[in-house]
Amino acid sequence: MSRRPSMEPLDVEEQIREARERLGTVGRLWPFVIAAGVLLWLASGIYMVQPAEVAVIRTFGQETGRSGPGLYYRLPAPIQLVDTVNVEQIRRAEIGFRTQDGKMVRVPAEALMLTRDENIVDAQLIVQYRVKDPSQYLFRLRDPQEALAASTEVALRSAVGRAPIDEILTTGRSQVQGMTRIFLQALLDTYESGLQVTDVKLQVADPPEQVKDAFQEVVRAREDRERLMNEARAYREDILPKARGQAQETLRGAEAYKEQRTLEAQGDVSRFVAVLREYKKSKDVTRDRLHLEAIERILSRSNNIVLDGQGASGVMPFLPLRDGAAIPPQAAAAQAATQSAPRPAPAQPSASTVPLAPSKPGVSATPAAQSRR
Amino acid sequence: MSRAAGTTVLVLLIAGFVLIQEALYIVDERNQAIVTQVGAFIRVDQNPGPYLKIPFYHSVIYFDRRIIVNDTAPTENLTLDKKRIVVDPITRWRIIDPFTFYITVRDESGARARLDDLVLSAMRDEIGKTDFVNVINRDREVIEESVTRRVAERASAFGIQIIDVRSKRADLPPEVQASVFARMVAERGQVSKRYRSEGEEESAKIRADAEKERTIILARAYEQAQRLRGDGDASAAGIYAEAFDQDPEFYAFIRSLQAYERVLGDRSMIVLSTDSDLLRYLRSARPTNGRTP
Repeated sequence: MSRRPSMEPLDVEEQIREARERLGTVGRLWPFVIAAGVLLWLASGIYMVQPAEVAVIRTFGQETGRSGPGLYYRLPAPIQLVDTVNVEQIRRAEIGFRTQDGKMVRVPAEALMLTRDENIVDAQLIVQYRVKDPSQYLFRLRDPQEALAASTEVALRSAVGRAPIDEILTTGRSQVQGMTRIFLQALLDTYESGLQVTDVKLQVADPPEQVKDAFQEVVRAREDRERLMNEARAYREDILPKARGQAQETLRGAEAYKEQRTLEAQGDVSRFVAVLREYKKSKDVTRDRLHLEAIERILSRSNNIVLDGQGASGVMPFLPLRDGAAIPPQAAAAQAATQSAPRPAPAQPSASTVPLAPSKPGVSATPAAQSRR
Repeated sequence: MSRAAGTTVLVLLIAGFVLIQEALYIVDERNQAIVTQVGAFIRVDQNPGPYLKIPFYHSVIYFDRRIIVNDTAPTENLTLDKKRIVVDPITRWRIIDPFTFYITVRDESGARARLDDLVLSAMRDEIGKTDFVNVINRDREVIEESVTRRVAERASAFGIQIIDVRSKRADLPPEVQASVFARMVAERGQVSKRYRSEGEEESAKIRADAEKERTIILARAYEQAQRLRGDGDASAAGIYAEAFDQDPEFYAFIRSLQAYERVLGDRSMIVLSTDSDLLRYLRSARPTNGRTP
């Protein structure tokens, strides 16, 4: 138009005429256009429900029916409307972390929470749920997903706030899960969310990063405790059997001694009785013989000094001359005079000088030596 | 069909469509509506379905019928024991009286502002009456319930029903967290020390027990051994006594001889007098005195 400003009036007339012609064409076609539109509109009522889905039909806004999987027809919008909801699918929500490209990214604001004993714990949770009531899910609560996430936080924090940190980190995990699940389901029902919690999994219940080392140190300390106790038990296992062995050794030794003592006594007695029997037959001869034999054995081994009878009476009282030995009282006065005389020194420590006088030995002399010869 | 008739049908159709649009309105499952007549209130439609109104004269205002969330921003509060705690309240509510709602708060954003105020003040009051430890533990639900009750009372004036008020988070302020972490580290340090000392304690106990047991085992063995040895000595003594009693004098004699042999070792110095019985034959071939040496 700006190209040909001088021919404008002619152009307008021409255009009107062309428009009329065109309108005439459309005018003849419009019933078909409308019919096609109506048909398309009616055809828009065909809908399909996939397996595991439930379709909720609204007629003039009001819920009037449901249908399961299959191909259906409804009156077109706005008379009837259909919403389909998958009621089988297990959905999943993450609290305290988000999975991004297969990686877990922590959300500290959600994950850190207070325990009953005013400690802070890092808890991460997965909730699995599905839609149990499509009507409620569609029409009763605005944004059920948001409600689920927020309610999970409420429930988890409530559960964690009821237990001390040690319990949460160790034995109380399943309890926290259980309490969270019950509380969460109660909240979801209160909110008419139409959601059913199928599982609550406490992924992580850890001490926060800032204190992790200290907690690991506790674990190490506990292991040290176990180690010390095990070492002590090993020590016990080491010494007790040894002690029992030693005890058995002592006992067996004593038993052996008892037997030995008895048997040796019996042996000694048998010998004595045998000799006694012979002795009784001829007392004097046997006695002299035994005596002489013994003396013979003794004197054949010892160093002997023979003194004449008169000399002997002067020397004998001073024997034995071992230090500290008893000196007969009648010789005490004479002792000083003979001090300068050389004493017969014992050849060896065990040697002794004994007058050959009969002595009275006790009964309990050492027994073993009797069988020496 | 003439061009004029066609145009008339078209116009009528459009007019009819507009009229139906104006006269008929649908209240959805999710919605509720109030009908006003040039500003004046006519009625409330809370049940879903199709409704009629006077076209152009009546107008319809829709409100949500579902439960709505109101996530109030976290605020810091003081507990009864003057500790600071950050609470993040979350309120669920719905409009039960759309007309009252409309004339008092007008729309959702108006309602949110009012609810925030109510929730925060109720929360502050209730937390101020409770010790810190109970805020996070025992009384958490109690506080939430009484806040819910208080907010519900006030909110009913706005045509709002409060489903509940919950505390999404009840945390320490960030600057207090650091001191909590420090305390946790210190506490863990104590626990570590205790475990180690306990280990030493238990270890010492076990060792001492074991040693005690060992000593007892050995002592018991000693006791039995001594008894056995005593038995042996006693029975030997009995056997000796019985035999030797037959002739004590002869026993003394023979035992003495044995003793001499043992006592007088090799190279003992023995001084003998020629007066002695043993050597009497050294001096003379005739017997002198008695037989005894």
